[in-house]
Amino acid sequence: MESFLARYRNLVVLLVVLVAQIAGLAVQVRRTGNGPNTDKSDMGGVRLIRLWANAVISPPEQLIHASKLGALGLWTNYLDLRHVREQNKDLQKTIDRLRLEQASLLEDARQGQRLQAMLGFQQSYMYSTVAAQVYGSSGTDRSHIFYIDKGSSDGLKPDMAVITGDGIVGKVRDVFPHSAQILAVNDSTSGAGVILENTRIRGILRGDREGRLEIVGLMADQRIQPGEHILTAGGDLIFPRGLPVGSVARVVRDPERDGFIDIMVNSSAHLDRLDEVLVITSTQPRFPPQSQQDLAESEAEKGAEAQALKDQMKASQIMAEKLPGLVDPKLPADQQPLHDSTPPSPNLHPPQPMHPDRFTPGSAVMPTPSAATSPATQAVPVAPPHREATTPTPSDKPQAAPQRNP
Amino acid sequence: MSLLNNDSHRGMEIHHYPLLAYALVPLTALVLQAWLPRVIGNYIWFDLPLVVTVYFALGRRNPIQGTIMGAAMGLFEDALSHRAIGINGIAKTLAGFLAASVGIRIEVDNQAVRLLLNFSFSVLASLVYLVVYRFLLGLALNWSWLTELFRAIGNSLIGLVLFPMLDRFRMKE
Repeated sequence: MESFLARYRNLVVLLVVLVAQIAGLAVQVRRTGNGPNTDKSDMGGVRLIRLWANAVISPPEQLIHASKLGALGLWTNYLDLRHVREQNKDLQKTIDRLRLEQASLLEDARQGQRLQAMLGFQQSYMYSTVAAQVYGSSGTDRSHIFYIDKGSSDGLKPDMAVITGDGIVGKVRDVFPHSAQILAVNDSTSGAGVILENTRIRGILRGDREGRLEIVGLMADQRIQPGEHILTAGGDLIFPRGLPVGSVARVVRDPERDGFIDIMVNSSAHLDRLDEVLVITSTQPRFPPQSQQDLAESEAEKGAEAQALKDQMKASQIMAEKLPGLVDPKLPADQQPLHDSTPPSPNLHPPQPMHPDRFTPGSAVMPTPSAATSPATQAVPVAPPHREATTPTPSDKPQAAPQRNP
Repeated sequence: MSLLNNDSHRGMEIHHYPLLAYALVPLTALVLQAWLPRVIGNYIWFDLPLVVTVYFALGRRNPIQGTIMGAAMGLFEDALSHRAIGINGIAKTLAGFLAASVGIRIEVDNQAVRLLLNFSFSVLASLVYLVVYRFLLGLALNWSWLTELFRAIGNSLIGLVLFPMLDRFRMKE
């Protein structure tokens, strides 16, 4: 046995190392109902290996990056362009901020056109962000990962959105104390909910093999034209709604399914030349003081209007209570007298006279000369017949005639 | 054929390097591999950790050392990506083992041989990566053999420049 191990020592070591790694892979790759999955949160051991690798690689990488920046800074300062560059930086920051605000305002305006402004106004596009420098990558085109110099000590957490002033960039995947791993949107395992600006068609954005952005699996639609802007839809719980993503480059047929199309996307952000990014740490509304004041005034006005409306309703209610003939509180609304649309009934009975006389309807007699002269011709009072109608008709005849004495 | 005859086999020496070189050269390769794509963009047609693994495996002519170095480099690369840890590890473990095994049998100081070996081991590592990812793990992977071919060519050219530079660190017996 000992000689066997000594003889095949190399192969034994190779097999041990390979088996250990295969076992490690088997533990990592979990099969779920939707198929194999490795892009969820890592287990403790795996995360520890990533932490070690990051701890070993990141410091020299950041050093190289800082050296590069230092050398660049020295060069530009030598050319006495410091102030120009500073101004440029400030302007660039202003442009980035204004672009974010513009995206917010544009989306709010469209929302208002769709009569949703009242509900959506509180959803602000002014976010709390942390600026970070990109200093490294995964080193392979099979994994579109990059590293930033901000980590959990700066408040970063997994699944936070990463953007630039131009558009979305990716999401935070792993967070280390002073650095974080960002999964770019152009990775094939990435995904973001997007919406086409004009046609309002929704889809899922992902990366293809070459690291280009595409929206896959859409129903063919003639309205989709190159150049149409694409925004985040906000349904993925990572990217807030309305952030720029890119524009439609071209529409191609889905090679696997008839009637479906894929949209190739020109990214708004320069994903292969990222230097500074913003990590959205909170999507809670964060208005500037002036906007907060405007919002408070608007709320106060809205409250006053609501109070006035309430008072008006109360007054009309009191009025209704004072007019019981118009509104019967015991009847349902559809049976109120004011709502009665049936025609008046012709079968109404007139009240019966307590002491009928000759003027009572139905008791009238035609006067004759003899009757007029003889006192015996006094009419005997006869109870009037029961009649169905109050209006006499030509066919109506008296049922009892006055008796004449012979 | 003179590369494979017994005389040359016997005459092949095992190269030794300072301890610092064993630590710094792989570390530098890993750091540059992670940093250079930031400078050159998407054209990552090289794999410096693999080139360094092949170099030390060929020079040391020790399959166990080649295996361990390949595994370590591959695991570090995996740890920097978001993929499962071990895919590159397996690919580079095999590359390191085979490079050391080949180094025992042939003279590897010849530039043409180094060029061919670098190209071959690059293609092998890509193939193993593909097999592990797509068939062993059953995961979907976008793959382009053209990119892998460019990567193999890039590794071969880098080896042509890098190997003579690293030869300077050799310790004289």
